[in-house]
Amino acid sequence: MSEINHEHWQEDVAAYMLGALEPARATELEQHLESCERCQAQVRWLMPALNALPQSVERQEPPPGLRTRVLAEVRADAGVASAERGDATAGLLHRLGGWLRSLGSGPMGLRPVAGLAAAVLVVVAVAGYAIGGGIGGGDDGSNGGSTVVTGKPPGVTAKVVMKSEGGGTLHLTNVKQLHDEHVLEAWVQREGEVEPVRALFVPDDKGRATTTIADMEGVEVVMVTTEPRGGSEAPTSSPIVTVPIPQS
Amino acid sequence: MNVERDRAERLADEELMPLIGAKDPEAFEVFYDRHGGVAYSLAYRIVGEKAAAEDVTQEAFISVWRSGARFDRARGSVRSWMLSIVRNRAIDMLRSRAGKAPKLTFDDDAVLEQRPAEELTDEEAMQHETAQELRGAVGSLPGEQAKVIELAYFGGFSQSEIAAMLGVPLGTVKGRMRLGMEKIRGELAEGLA
Repeated sequence: MSEINHEHWQEDVAAYMLGALEPARATELEQHLESCERCQAQVRWLMPALNALPQSVERQEPPPGLRTRVLAEVRADAGVASAERGDATAGLLHRLGGWLRSLGSGPMGLRPVAGLAAAVLVVVAVAGYAIGGGIGGGDDGSNGGSTVVTGKPPGVTAKVVMKSEGGGTLHLTNVKQLHDEHVLEAWVQREGEVEPVRALFVPDDKGRATTTIADMEGVEVVMVTTEPRGGSEAPTSSPIVTVPIPQS
Repeated sequence: MNVERDRAERLADEELMPLIGAKDPEAFEVFYDRHGGVAYSLAYRIVGEKAAAEDVTQEAFISVWRSGARFDRARGSVRSWMLSIVRNRAIDMLRSRAGKAPKLTFDDDAVLEQRPAEELTDEEAMQHETAQELRGAVGSLPGEQAKVIELAYFGGFSQSEIAAMLGVPLGTVKGRMRLGMEKIRGELAEGLA
C-alpha cells in the first residue's frame, strides 16, 4: 500500500469513530481496517478520546421514577422467565381464562365464551373511558411512527408510538397514583388472544408512565391493568385503558 | 439463582454482565445504579429534553437486559459499551424527529463490532478519571475543533452535512475532527503521566 493511500484513509479514522462518515465510505474504511495494522493502531489509540466524550457531559440527576420504571420492567421479565422455567404448561389460555373468569364474576357477568373482543369492549365500559380512536402523527415528536390515542382527559390518555424496528413505546398520562405494592402491567392482543408484554411500570409524580413493547407485529390492542407488585400471570383487574391499533 | 445485592455491589462491571445475561435482577439493579446517571445525562445532552431522555435511557437499559450478555470484555469497558448504546438510540431519536431515515443501527452487537479488541490498558486507566477531568480534556479544544466533534458525536451529523452547515470544505472538517480527537487523546495521556 502506498503511503499516500494510507494517509488518505487515516484522515477519515476520526470521522469514522465519531459516526460521521457516510455509510458507503464507512464500509470501505472498515474493509481497509481489516488489513491495515497502522489504521487499527490509530483506532485503538483514539478510543479513549472517543470514550471521554459521553463521560464529559454535564451530569443531570435522573428522575427517581425512571429507576423505578426500569427496575419494575426488569423484575417483571425476571418473574416471567422464572415462571416459564418452573411451569411450562402455564400458558396463554390459563392466563386468559383466569382473566375472563374474574370478569365473569363482576357486575357485567361476562362469560368466557363471549370471546376476547367483547371482553375488551366491556372492560373499557367498566373502566369508564371513551375510546377516542384518533390517530395522530407522532405529535410528541418522539418518533416518526403512527400514534394512537385513546381515552379522554381527565381519564387516562394513552399513546402507542410505533418504532422503526418493529417495537413500540406506550405512553400514559393522567394515571392515578398507585397504592403501595401495586404496579401497572401491559398486555397485547394478537389474533384475538391476550399475551403479556412482560412489562411492569409505575407512574411518575405527574401521572405519566412509559414502557416499551418489544414486538408490535400483529398487535390489535394494547391494554394496561393494575397488578400486585411483581406482576401477574393473568390480568386481575379491568384495564385502566385500551388502545386499538390500526392494522396496516 | 439471584445474588444478593451486597454481593453484587462488590463485583466489577465485567463480572455483573454474565449474571445479567442469566436474568438476575439484583445484578441488573447494581448495573443500573452505576451507570444510570451518566446514561441519562448523555441522553439528555443529545435529545435536549427530559421526557425524551427518560425514554432513551429506559429503552437502552431494557435492551441490555433483554438482549442478554452480549458484552464482550475483550472489546472495551462495560460503561463505554452502555454509553454507545444510549448514544445510538438518542441519535436515532434525533434523526427520526428531523424526518430522516435512521442511520444508526439498533443492533447492539454492531456496537461491539465497532470497537477494537485488546490493548485496553489505557482505557481501563481512563475509567478512573473524573468527569471533571474528562470535561477538561474535551473543553481544552479550540472552538472550531470542538464544534465539528460536537456536531458529529452529539448531533449525529455526517461530515458532509457539517461541512455544508459550517460553509467549509469537507477536507477542513476531516482535519478538524482528526486534530480535535488527537488533542483530546493527548490531554488524557498527559493526565495519566
